[in-house]
Amino acid sequence: MGLLKTNMLIFTLRRFSLFFFTMWLLTILSFSLSFLFPGEQLINLTGEINASPEQLAVLANEYQQQANLLTQYFSYVSHLFHGDMGYSMTSHLPIMTEIINRLPATVELTCVALLVAMFFGIPIGFCAAIYHRKAPDNFILAIAMIGYSIPVFWLGILAILVFSVQLGWLPSAGQISLLFEIKHVTGLQLVDILLSDSEYKWQAFQDATRHLILPVIVVALAPATIFMRLARTAMLEVLDTHYIKAAKAKGLTFSQIIYRHAMRNAVIKVIRDVGLQFAHLITIAMVTEVIFSWPGIGRWLIESIYQRDYTAIQGGLIVLSTFIFIVHIIIDFVYAALNPLAREPNHGT
Amino acid sequence: MNLIDIRNLSIELQTSTQPILAVDRVNLTMKEGEVRGLVGESGSGKSLLAQAIVGVLDEKWKVDADRFHWRGNDLMRLTPEERKAIISKDVAMIFQEPMACLDPTTTIGEQLEEAVDVEQLTGFFWQKRQQRKLAAINLLHKVGIKQHEMCVKSFPHQLTDALCQRVMIAMALARRPMLLIADEPTAAMESTNQGQIFRLLASLNQLKNMSILLISHDLENVTHWTNAITVMYSGQFVEAGTTEQIFNQPYHPYTRALVDSSPKANRMIPNKSRLMTLPGSIPILQHLPIGCRLGPRCPRAQQKCVHAPKIKNFHGHQVSCHFPLKDSYS
Repeated sequence: MGLLKTNMLIFTLRRFSLFFFTMWLLTILSFSLSFLFPGEQLINLTGEINASPEQLAVLANEYQQQANLLTQYFSYVSHLFHGDMGYSMTSHLPIMTEIINRLPATVELTCVALLVAMFFGIPIGFCAAIYHRKAPDNFILAIAMIGYSIPVFWLGILAILVFSVQLGWLPSAGQISLLFEIKHVTGLQLVDILLSDSEYKWQAFQDATRHLILPVIVVALAPATIFMRLARTAMLEVLDTHYIKAAKAKGLTFSQIIYRHAMRNAVIKVIRDVGLQFAHLITIAMVTEVIFSWPGIGRWLIESIYQRDYTAIQGGLIVLSTFIFIVHIIIDFVYAALNPLAREPNHGT
Repeated sequence: MNLIDIRNLSIELQTSTQPILAVDRVNLTMKEGEVRGLVGESGSGKSLLAQAIVGVLDEKWKVDADRFHWRGNDLMRLTPEERKAIISKDVAMIFQEPMACLDPTTTIGEQLEEAVDVEQLTGFFWQKRQQRKLAAINLLHKVGIKQHEMCVKSFPHQLTDALCQRVMIAMALARRPMLLIADEPTAAMESTNQGQIFRLLASLNQLKNMSILLISHDLENVTHWTNAITVMYSGQFVEAGTTEQIFNQPYHPYTRALVDSSPKANRMIPNKSRLMTLPGSIPILQHLPIGCRLGPRCPRAQQKCVHAPKIKNFHGHQVSCHFPLKDSYS
């Protein structure tokens, strides 16, 4: 057991070193952006467009503008560590406040969408593999192809037209109805509602869920179809292995083989690729946030790009990439928890 | 009564162009308590034959036989489900590469427990869990694994190949089979481990009267452990008889060549001389010769050999050849 613990420790340390180096590269990229964007580098970095010459001199001193580039970079990083990303050029609020207000909504939308995509995509993919080259398989593959090819902006607008405007089943914009007043605790709307002691708690919860349904479906559709195909391939691979044949020879029935052996091994293969798909999912979520007026960081970032708010672009870039990377690492840990082979540092015998 | 009696079993590979006859009318009979070797080069269809008996071939293979009797029961008359029920109750199989045959994400203990026969358990469902555990540990003891606690908690990749093969044998024993089919159980194993596995199989045969069908490409090694041997070449039946008959007086030119190619069987040959081999190599499935498939390589081949020979029986020593070597022994 001691060996297992050290293996797990090495695994964790590896992930953290990867995290460290990726963050390092990200900050370099974001720092160099302040030079590449048009205008004064110091103003791009701080976002103080209306500052007087005296204030600018103070800022220049703070960011060590007179020193060499390396020192400038380190003073930028130390500002980042203190949570100071400068001020938004348009709203003149600190970038940090803007992000703290908006990131939770994106986290909520993307995480729910990821779970929904996995929850529906993976079992459907398994079904396709079990009925390999039969009617259900072809049907699922066709659906997956169509789902993957539909552009998200078109799907979003269509969903609003059909379900909100014509049928009137679901709300078309926002995170929650204005009637409800929810105290901002974690920022995650559903969690905040459950934490609040309002007497209309359950109504608020229902309302927030109703607001969540359409955007989640729109965001989850494309990843779900990818998961379907990944799960189908993984299941076919697993069904072709020796241990499935051996399990058959052992006298297990087909459903026993699927539930006890094939599913777990196939899920592991799919989980490994979920992290990669998450970055794709974030991109879709950014477009969806614009369509559904979701108060998330994606919509804010796209607006900042339109308004040439360079400070906001730099900050948003760092925060979104960090979020994607953290999810990546979490999925790596889930993968290691499910797969005993991944916990070993090397595969030599 | 014969344990298993197979007559003219053919296995076809369904391809997009035309079906390929991978195994061509093979016979196999086994008595109860017998250890029979099934010998042939790789690609001679011996693993296919074994998998066809157990019924684990997938849909692209089509199996056909004139007779398939299991302890007097005609299995050809039964539905696939009934056949599977009988076979999985009485026949167990172990494979080469034992590590690949164990689920990599499930512990050995869990895999052993699910192999335990439900009918052997008594009592209520809350007692069964404990009984399953005990049964699994008992199985491990039967195959000579003493550190059962370590073994039960391990994942397959944490054990050696030989240990994994023992675990596979333990799983095979769980249903108390009449027949154990061992498909090259010691391929890619060190010789000490090979010996251990063969000794374990031999003791199971003697103590539990379990019949064993031992599949191997190594005729010389198989002779140490078997009572009878069936030889196959390129999907065709070649020769069958007792181990002594096959090893000392083979009637078929192919078996003769197999025996001659092993250094132990002919100690008389001078040092550093070449061993006897047949010219050429085993034909690929797409270009099988007609008639006797050994024809193009056979030193005794004549025009007649383009027709498949009928099986001749000399006091239980069966050979499929137009020109058997029977008269060359005096």
